[in-house]
Amino acid sequence: MEPHGFFTDTSVCIGCKACEVACKQWNQLPADGAYFSGRSYDNTLHLESTTWRHVAFLEHSRQLSGQTTARPFSWLFLSDVCKHCNRAGCLEACPTGALVRTEFASVYLQPDVCNGCGYCVVACPFGVINRREDDGRAWKCTLCYDRQKVGLEPACAKTCPTDSIFFGPVEELKVRAQARLLELHRKGVHEARLYGMTELDQPGTEGLNAFFLLLDRPEAYNLPPEPRVPTKEAGRAWGMMGLAALGMVAAAIAAVRAGGEE
Amino acid sequence: MTELFARRQATAERELDPQLAVLSGEAAGQRIRHPAAQQGMPPIPLWQKVPSQPGEEAQKDYYRLPLLKEPVWIWSVPAYFYLGGVAGGSALLATLAHGKRGLKKLAALCRGLAFAGTTVGPALLTYDLGKMGRFLNMLRVFRPSSPMSVGSWSLAGSGALATLALVQGDHPAAKPTTRALAGGGLVVSGYTGVLLGNSANPLWQGTRLTLPLLFTASAIASTSALLELFTLNRREERVVRRFGTIGKIAEAGSMALFELEAAQNPEAARALDRGKAGVLWKGAKGFLAAGIALSLLPGDSVGKRRAAGTLTTIGALCLRFGLLEAGKEAVRDPQAVITPQLKGLAR
Repeated sequence: MEPHGFFTDTSVCIGCKACEVACKQWNQLPADGAYFSGRSYDNTLHLESTTWRHVAFLEHSRQLSGQTTARPFSWLFLSDVCKHCNRAGCLEACPTGALVRTEFASVYLQPDVCNGCGYCVVACPFGVINRREDDGRAWKCTLCYDRQKVGLEPACAKTCPTDSIFFGPVEELKVRAQARLLELHRKGVHEARLYGMTELDQPGTEGLNAFFLLLDRPEAYNLPPEPRVPTKEAGRAWGMMGLAALGMVAAAIAAVRAGGEE
Repeated sequence: MTELFARRQATAERELDPQLAVLSGEAAGQRIRHPAAQQGMPPIPLWQKVPSQPGEEAQKDYYRLPLLKEPVWIWSVPAYFYLGGVAGGSALLATLAHGKRGLKKLAALCRGLAFAGTTVGPALLTYDLGKMGRFLNMLRVFRPSSPMSVGSWSLAGSGALATLALVQGDHPAAKPTTRALAGGGLVVSGYTGVLLGNSANPLWQGTRLTLPLLFTASAIASTSALLELFTLNRREERVVRRFGTIGKIAEAGSMALFELEAAQNPEAARALDRGKAGVLWKGAKGFLAAGIALSLLPGDSVGKRRAAGTLTTIGALCLRFGLLEAGKEAVRDPQAVITPQLKGLAR
């Protein structure tokens, strides 16, 4: 199977949260309860073990370029999701092999294997995955693996009324994203940029299978500007451990020598 | 009727019609968690300002909300870090003291400590698991990219070897066992540093080069500090004291290096001064300094030795708990993640 993923085009997102609801209904995740955050219309706030799609709301007191409004204002939305990175921190950290790469190139957590060690939670550079409160397993977006298996598109993409969430083969998505970026730039929306589409855009993750078109800097949407899978730097850390171990052996030999011969 | 009521209960908070949906999925039955509400994230004083229009300045991040998730580990993990360090240091001493006539008791004591550390340690780690019954899944695969997988295998191997070494005692034939045990012990006492460094946590990732040094140095200091609490002969005491002197100096040096490396990301390093983490980190420094000072004082009484050992042990425990707490504290500030990435420090 060729890699499948999401292209989330925030320039057409209307912040309806249908993706959040569709995801919760299909995956039978609980509703987020009645909590008022006071942060625009975003009362979900985070991706969580119970929330696999999260719509972020940004209110800016300036227009987008090329836009005309009565007073300086723009309202930006982003439907955030697990990025299914090509180099996934969670997958590389998982000691049980519960996290695997599927035939659709998505990162899937096998619920019958995960023992809830919590290492993926600190290894994810996007802060996506978390441990369930009730039974302690890690839990995250499956890219609707069950639906993909029978040829259906994921619930969030299916329900998205503006096709802001577009599902398909990643290579096709890239063509689509580039065309959309050119179109927006031609229309004068110079803020438009792609996030994490290729390895060149984001060497730290070697590209995302769920990438985005943004209208502001990534950090304004709570996306890390330059994420890096932790494993990329692990070699030197192991080297330091080797050095430290040599030092420890030397210390122990010196100590036993200090005991003196009888 | 009761059946219908039960189905209503099962679909509460889900906006699902029980006639249409049966909640049989694996995700069903979860409790919701609102980290923002739980952590006392301020309910914004709406009468003072409109939070959703925070001005240009505040748009460096998303409403100051954390970008990464906090580590979910509980007290038993840093407790294991300590025990693993002691087990590793003792395994090494047990090997080098093996078969030396004047060091028989020390060798036996170290074998015992290595055994205790490598058996109680996994129990503590299991206690932290979300699904304790599945602890054996740790040995389901070997993933060299995961320090936790490497650690699980070396801990399991060391546990088996430590048990064997305990049974064999100081029999000359036990030499290969103790050698292998020492190898496993070296990994067990140091891999925890690599494990923390191999994460997206801004403080731990930023200090990934000094964390292995810190854990190994503290393993030496913790082992000798614990051994100082036991009654040993003169020769063995000299061994322990030398091991401890090197360990405590190395630990103090590594802590200084750690602070230097952490200071490259000031937003994350601030976690070492704040809240619970700040108290623990200062405690780690203070108790270690007190332990060093006490052992430098003249005199060689049993009481002094035990006091120094106790102080150093408390310091080593504070260090482990402080590192975990500081990791939790560091991710609460989104700028700790964003700023170094913008500066290109993260690579």
